[in-house]
Amino acid sequence: MSTGATTATPAAAEKARKGTSDRSRAENRLGLKLVAPAVILMLLVTAYPMLRALYLSLFKYRLSAPDDREFVGLNNYVTVLTDSLWWGDVFNTVVIMVITVAFELVIGFAFAMVMHRVVFARGIIRTSILIPYGIITVVSAFAWQFAFSLNNGFVNGWLPFIGEDFNWFGDKWPAMIAIMVSEIWKTTPFMSLLLLAGLAQVSEDTIEAAKVDGATWWQRLWKVILPNMKAAIMVAVLFRALDAFRIFDNIFVMTRGAQDTESVSFLTYRQIIEQFELGMGSALSVLLFLSVLLIAYLLVKLFKVDLASARGER
Amino acid sequence: MRAKLGPSTIIGMIAILVWCLLPVVWIIMLSFKPEAETAAGSPQFLPKDWSWENYQSVLQDDLFQRALINSFGISLIATVLSVMIATLTAYAVARLEFKGKRVVLSIALAIAMFPVVSLVGPLFDMWRAVGLYDTWLGLIIPYMSFTLPLAIWTLTAFFREIPWEMEQAAQVDGATSWQAFRKVIVPLAAPGVFTAAILTFFFAWNDFVFGISLTSTTNARPVPAALAFFVGPDQFNPPTSTLSAAAVVVTIPIIIIVLIFQRKIVAGLTSGAVKG
Amino acid sequence: MAATIDRAARARRRRRGLAAGAAVLALSSVLTACSESSAKPVLTWYINPDPDPPPDFEGAFGLDGIAERCSTDEYDIVTEQLPTSANEQRIQLMRRLAANDSSIDLMSIDPVYTAEFSEAGYLAEFSEADQEEIAGNKLQGALESATWNDRLVAAPQWANTQLLWYRKSVAEKAGLNLDEPVTWDQLIKAAEETETRVSVQGNKYEGYVVLLNALIQGAGGEIVSGLGRGEEMTVEVDSDAGKKAAEIIEQLAGSSAKDPDLPVSNEGTAEANFAGDNGGFMLNWTYIFLGHNEALEGDLGWARYPQTVEGEPSKPPTGGINIGIGAFSDHEKEAIEAAKCITSTDNQVTYATETGGMPTAEDAYDAEKLRELYPPELLALFQESIDEGGPRPVTPYWATIVNAMLGKWHPQDSVTENTAEQSAEFLQNVLNGDSLV
Repeated sequence: MSTGATTATPAAAEKARKGTSDRSRAENRLGLKLVAPAVILMLLVTAYPMLRALYLSLFKYRLSAPDDREFVGLNNYVTVLTDSLWWGDVFNTVVIMVITVAFELVIGFAFAMVMHRVVFARGIIRTSILIPYGIITVVSAFAWQFAFSLNNGFVNGWLPFIGEDFNWFGDKWPAMIAIMVSEIWKTTPFMSLLLLAGLAQVSEDTIEAAKVDGATWWQRLWKVILPNMKAAIMVAVLFRALDAFRIFDNIFVMTRGAQDTESVSFLTYRQIIEQFELGMGSALSVLLFLSVLLIAYLLVKLFKVDLASARGER
Repeated sequence: MRAKLGPSTIIGMIAILVWCLLPVVWIIMLSFKPEAETAAGSPQFLPKDWSWENYQSVLQDDLFQRALINSFGISLIATVLSVMIATLTAYAVARLEFKGKRVVLSIALAIAMFPVVSLVGPLFDMWRAVGLYDTWLGLIIPYMSFTLPLAIWTLTAFFREIPWEMEQAAQVDGATSWQAFRKVIVPLAAPGVFTAAILTFFFAWNDFVFGISLTSTTNARPVPAALAFFVGPDQFNPPTSTLSAAAVVVTIPIIIIVLIFQRKIVAGLTSGAVKG
Repeated sequence: MAATIDRAARARRRRRGLAAGAAVLALSSVLTACSESSAKPVLTWYINPDPDPPPDFEGAFGLDGIAERCSTDEYDIVTEQLPTSANEQRIQLMRRLAANDSSIDLMSIDPVYTAEFSEAGYLAEFSEADQEEIAGNKLQGALESATWNDRLVAAPQWANTQLLWYRKSVAEKAGLNLDEPVTWDQLIKAAEETETRVSVQGNKYEGYVVLLNALIQGAGGEIVSGLGRGEEMTVEVDSDAGKKAAEIIEQLAGSSAKDPDLPVSNEGTAEANFAGDNGGFMLNWTYIFLGHNEALEGDLGWARYPQTVEGEPSKPPTGGINIGIGAFSDHEKEAIEAAKCITSTDNQVTYATETGGMPTAEDAYDAEKLRELYPPELLALFQESIDEGGPRPVTPYWATIVNAMLGKWHPQDSVTENTAEQSAEFLQNVLNGDSLV
């Protein structure tokens, strides 16, 4: 009855306005409905467990001695943050992150330049560059572990300045090199593809113009190409850096953290899965999460680029 | 600059090929060395005697077969579900105006950077309480949530390129809206969906952290975890060449997918990440 | 190296043999009792990996063989293989048990982790009668490793101990008389003189702490004491015995007698080094005899574990496997019966002849089959070693102790005279929960 009365109002303008707002409201509702499953699922597996980790981190709680569970407040955090093992592992992880990303950036850029110029056999190059990307990290780790191995590896035989019986996994830095080689090998292709896409967006005309102006190859690279690729480089570095900070698979397979090659992720895994220290492990989980946030923040600050505009929305 | 093929480019191409293929060829060579040869120490690159024996024993290994089935099953199911859900989301993000769009994208971004190891403890604790520990579903759920960001970006980027006006044009031409969707939009969207599916599958196939933490038997243990726990004739050490054969076997599907779909994968990787 | 030839093919045969056996089993049960077969319980036994069967072996081998022979009309036993390392086995089992998994009926547990499993409530209890029946004929050392809080909590299945294995030719060249007890110092010097190696387990894993424990106990010390009271344990590493152990590790690490892969070596790599060109001496478990006696053509010698301190009897490492019953098993009664069968003297004898894992049952050492295969003086040495050996501390915190020790004693070339003191302090902090490990 009342509906009839309102629709009977002769004000056409109001009707139209109401129509659009109805439609936009409907669109709004539809949009929320469509994104709801993804959002719920993503939060279910991350936000809720993180909150639980936060809660568990306040306890001394060993899974194999459940009766001894006791509330210890922030004690676990104090223990971790005053422990040399934690800081040693943070150092290892940061070293791995900085070195691997630096190498990947340089090698990946060189690869991108080559791919950018190649006109024939693009399929072959593209296929081979995708193989390390697609290969299982554990497989890459085994391949390199065997390559560096004392009894079965070819590396000692091929490198002229390395003795036949040099044990790469017997000492910290050689073992770290082996781990980083596997990491760099596996992820450089991804980096180079991102950089290739960035390279494709640098206009040929600008480069030609610089050439005509007498700029050397080196000048063209630094003054024209790289500045125009800033967004692509930033995205590639950000993603790879955060990925490298989480390094786990290579360390698990190649050294299991021996010779002080442990990363923060591996330390967390060991506390929870090997020692069943759910309380201490949860505190490490929270700290690991905060570290990643901090690195993301620092990188974004460093590049001074609004992430959402570079990545999500145009 | 483009079409020139200087010596530096040729050297560069060779460098790329060597870089990408050397470790792959190396592990293939190892897989052809008889187990006795590697057990005694065999540092040369090529096998002394070529042998298929490792492949035979790997393919007949019950534990490895189960891991292959687990990995294929879990990865495929996770991929299909993840891509379906991501398609809905990407459609909404690309085509509709609604509040909270930025929030959705920010969440996806945050998840992509999430340190997965920090979830191992709480997820293990939750899963054992609800009976999902060491089950397919117990892996499918985390795989879905961690592949969603990748799938959402890739699909959003693809969907934004689709000329949606064509749908209306078809309807004007007398097609029903279902026909218009099926005949016009589906063919345009399919390549994007397919690419997202490949990338999602790669991610799930590669996962190790969840694979070792949330499983403990052949019930659900996927391939990477099975490789890490590979048991050979020596009770104390993984068997080098048999393990290499297993590694080659699990790499073959990747190589086939890459060979067939390389163009699409590159497009998907870069569109999602740079242009998006 | 005849022993390693075509191992993969053998593995294949074993698996096929197993499948065939299972098929026959399934078929016969269908033929005999169509309706009953579906109700017949299946017990799952989580096993540690066995070595490969010899090429001419027919039927089910090792633990699979025992599972087949111990299956009855009331239940079948199937095996599920665990990873290679003892710690990894523990992790896989513990996680399932933490999830209250009812599918674990029987499990092979390393003695050093038995206390931890029991303390966490993951092992079903044996009745007094069952305890007596299982304990009846077992060696004292084996029983101690399966006892926690004065109760027998697992059934000792096989025992292990380390001997000094050596090449007779090398010992002769070095002029080392191994009929008399030798010390670590003599051993390292003999290897240096002959340009051979003393192969041990030095990876960053539990096996290396086995060596450390043996060295410390050999000098009359302990890593920890007062084990009954969990966290109230007393750390004892900082002692003369601890210092003596550090001295030996330091000596070995700085010697040409160490394996080049010492910081990553384990039982298997030690075996390969021993069988290789520079092999001389090796500390390793009982199973070495079956794998190498023939291959070395009479050159394989054995002696009791070397002394840490001259004149003080050595404490050879002991180990083995205990069979535990899952606390959440739906078939507890059947599983206990199965455990008795698995640890029976007959099965222990067969297992010892097949794999080299020595019996825990005293009467098994008199068995004809065993005496045919092993020289009597070797069997006597095994028994002596197990009886007088030093078990690792039985405590629920063994895994933590291992990690704490490894933190300071690994790699070997970092060990100095201060290591004992530092590791004691660190271990104490870890046990108090004040340090990460």
